[in-house]
Amino acid sequence: MAQFIQVLILGLALGGVIALMGSGLSLVFGVMRIVNLAHPSLIIAGAYVAYWAFKLWGIDPIVMLPIAALILAGIGVLLYRLMFEQEAKSARYSEMTVLLTFALAMMVEGLLGAFFTNTQRVTSPDYATDAFFISDIFIPKGQLYAGIVSLVIIGGLALFLKYSRMGYAIRATTQNRDAAELLGVNVNLVSVVAFAIGIGLAGAAGALVSFVFSFFPAKQWEWIAMLMSVVVLGGMGSILGTVVAAFSLSVIAAFVGTWVGATWSTMTFFLALFVILLIRPEGLFGEKPEMA
Amino acid sequence: MAATLQTPDTGAVLAARKAHDEKLAKRADQTRAIWFPVTVLAVLLALPLLQFTGNYNYLLHLVLFTASYVVMAAGWNILGGFAGYVSLGHAVFFAIGGYFSGVLLARFGISTLLTAPLAGLLAAVCGYLIGQITLKVRGPSFIISSIALLMIARILFDHWTFIGGANGLALPINDLPVLWAKLPYYYAFIFMAAFTVWATYRIKHSKLGLGLRALSKDEIKAESAGIDTRFYKVVAFALSAFFVGMAGAVWGEYLTYLRPNIFLIILVSANLVLMCILGGKGTIAGPVVGAVLIVGINELFVATMGASELNLFGTGLVMAVALMFFPLGVVGTLARKGKLPRILNWD
Amino acid sequence: MTALLEVTNITAGYGDGPAILDGAHLTVVPGKVHCIIGPNGAGKSTLLKAICGMLKIRKGEVVLKGERLNGLRPDQILRKGICFVPQERALFPKMTVRENLRMGGFTLGDARELDRRVDAILDRFPILRERANQHAGTMSGGQQQTLAMARTLIIRPDIVMLDEPSLGLAPKIVQEMFSIMKMMSEEGVTVLLVEQNALMGLKNSDIGVVLDLGRTLIEGPAADVLADPRIQELYLGGRKAA
Repeated sequence: MAQFIQVLILGLALGGVIALMGSGLSLVFGVMRIVNLAHPSLIIAGAYVAYWAFKLWGIDPIVMLPIAALILAGIGVLLYRLMFEQEAKSARYSEMTVLLTFALAMMVEGLLGAFFTNTQRVTSPDYATDAFFISDIFIPKGQLYAGIVSLVIIGGLALFLKYSRMGYAIRATTQNRDAAELLGVNVNLVSVVAFAIGIGLAGAAGALVSFVFSFFPAKQWEWIAMLMSVVVLGGMGSILGTVVAAFSLSVIAAFVGTWVGATWSTMTFFLALFVILLIRPEGLFGEKPEMA
Repeated sequence: MAATLQTPDTGAVLAARKAHDEKLAKRADQTRAIWFPVTVLAVLLALPLLQFTGNYNYLLHLVLFTASYVVMAAGWNILGGFAGYVSLGHAVFFAIGGYFSGVLLARFGISTLLTAPLAGLLAAVCGYLIGQITLKVRGPSFIISSIALLMIARILFDHWTFIGGANGLALPINDLPVLWAKLPYYYAFIFMAAFTVWATYRIKHSKLGLGLRALSKDEIKAESAGIDTRFYKVVAFALSAFFVGMAGAVWGEYLTYLRPNIFLIILVSANLVLMCILGGKGTIAGPVVGAVLIVGINELFVATMGASELNLFGTGLVMAVALMFFPLGVVGTLARKGKLPRILNWD
Repeated sequence: MTALLEVTNITAGYGDGPAILDGAHLTVVPGKVHCIIGPNGAGKSTLLKAICGMLKIRKGEVVLKGERLNGLRPDQILRKGICFVPQERALFPKMTVRENLRMGGFTLGDARELDRRVDAILDRFPILRERANQHAGTMSGGQQQTLAMARTLIIRPDIVMLDEPSLGLAPKIVQEMFSIMKMMSEEGVTVLLVEQNALMGLKNSDIGVVLDLGRTLIEGPAADVLADPRIQELYLGGRKAA
């Protein structure tokens, strides 16, 4: 029983970070119908920002989080203007953008690899290797903090989407781009803002990831499959769905990792993705398979 | 009532249309230049004669390398180009073919040149089975599922001790003198490339190819026109896996080892996609042009930048630029403008 | 009687495709209901899309109250006073009825004023009041169309363009749509209606416009258009026979 609770806690602790990693991906898909395969590579870019800030100046990665988010959001604006803006009129838009983000993922990985090599890195603030103990059960501090920060950020995002004017515009554009534009929403501006927020979330997630997982540029492929399974299960575009899916899959992966073997824990995500795509391509929370 | 009134009209219209089409077909035939690919093939077959005058192993390697990619890209084109299902997971079939023939070579000493068609068949069967599952979804969902497939296969191959796990398998090296050691593989790949290009031509113009092109435009309409889209797609998947698997089989022996981090990487898949897009997705000459271009660009990058990481960046950059500015590829763009040189019109 | 909106000789089409509109023109008279009729593919919907900025105008001009609208985006054109209700998917299915109405007043700066107007609309349409907190996507086709039309009243634009509001609705509900349209007109909103059912459309309008092959054939009082024997034969008679 104690072991059960232990594994459950470890799974839940990672769920928050994974949810944050996936939320930006989900937002970008929701608003722009872009399946951003480059999202994990940008998370890794954010992780490097936090890593070097800690290594060079000893800045805590959680303190660095807003800065990483801002830097990545800026990159997001640039990328959107350069690569995606004119694609909006392309006939095979969804397929084109997947391939385009795939190319972007390779470019980011190549650049990061050229600068920082493919050595495994991890930011190591004190709490990253520390833990709280409740009788026999331990809660790793790093994962706990990362999880809490993630949930706070996602909560903030949800409130922003629900109540702010821009949030209204983003939700409207997600649900019906044409109608939003016909009601006076500048959908292009909304797209830039949403894309920047999405990539900014990648930066924020990166800062947390930097001390929760070890990372290197080529790690992105593993994360692509992991995050895709989370957002697809959550119904692409639904933030709440992403959170629920992230926690469920993370907990399942923790159990698989403990009882079946560590290798199979990552496999959980890939198999889940496979199964979900085939059984319910619209995800648990999605309305209809709009990706088709 | 309206129908009866129009009957004589429709007959006349159909007759006129038929005459028009026949004229077009004749024009298309006239612009095709069979002599060009045949000449290229003849030159390539004679190329190893150069070895009598010096060591041209690097040149032979480049041609062989390009030919191997022609086989795979043209194979990928059947699913990605004709049917419109973009797969980023075709490295899986490359690995299946490579490992199947590789294991036979390592355990029983049977050359992969003999077992390559069998390796292709095995890849085709796997493709058929996988296609049954993944071809239910299309567009981005299919692309993602193909990445998931690759990740799953990578974990399986990395942990399957029978085939050496992550360390892979070493294969015996043939005992020909250095100058001639490449020749068996050289001819194998040239032969396979020619065969694949010819086969894709036949497929494109068959009933299957017609059905695939119809469903790539609009699957629901194709289905309501009586095309068994499900079956067509799966067959396309199997056929494309066949060629990729066959190439993988011979590639393993040429490389003299098999390892998941060589065979099961997304870059292999990405190259296939890139070649077809750059050359012209869905055209016959496209994958060939794309393979030549990409191998050329790759060599240039390696020669000038060296590092494999920048190489990855370069591949991504070329792909992004191609997608943004030439989404139809070299062959497709030229054809759209009516400027496709006769020698590249193989459709 | 000066024109509110003047469309002169416009050419437009989708993407690189052929021109659907090929020299169409239209004069919109303030306060009247205009009905655009014509066979399938005549360019009726295309004309509305070109006016509201959803389609690029290749040639010709759209002028609203002396101001040229060519090249503006739909959101900018809305701010000029033209509101377009597309044929389908006009709503935000996962927003509530109230949120949908609030989106109708997106361009209003004043949140309190917006709430007041949303409430006023809910008072006028009891069916919407009943379902104020229900997701729009879960309502029936007629209710959705009512919401889409009622939503335009939040900002009271100069012109409302309706693309086949009766499409796919039962005859009884269609009558309701026309009465909402009449209500708009009585409030001084100029209405531009595209209608497949020419007879029904013209009977409920002041001005009739006939479009064919992307060109304007006839513009005139709806009653005259209705009575014109050529129209009878081409667009109304054929319908009866079929």
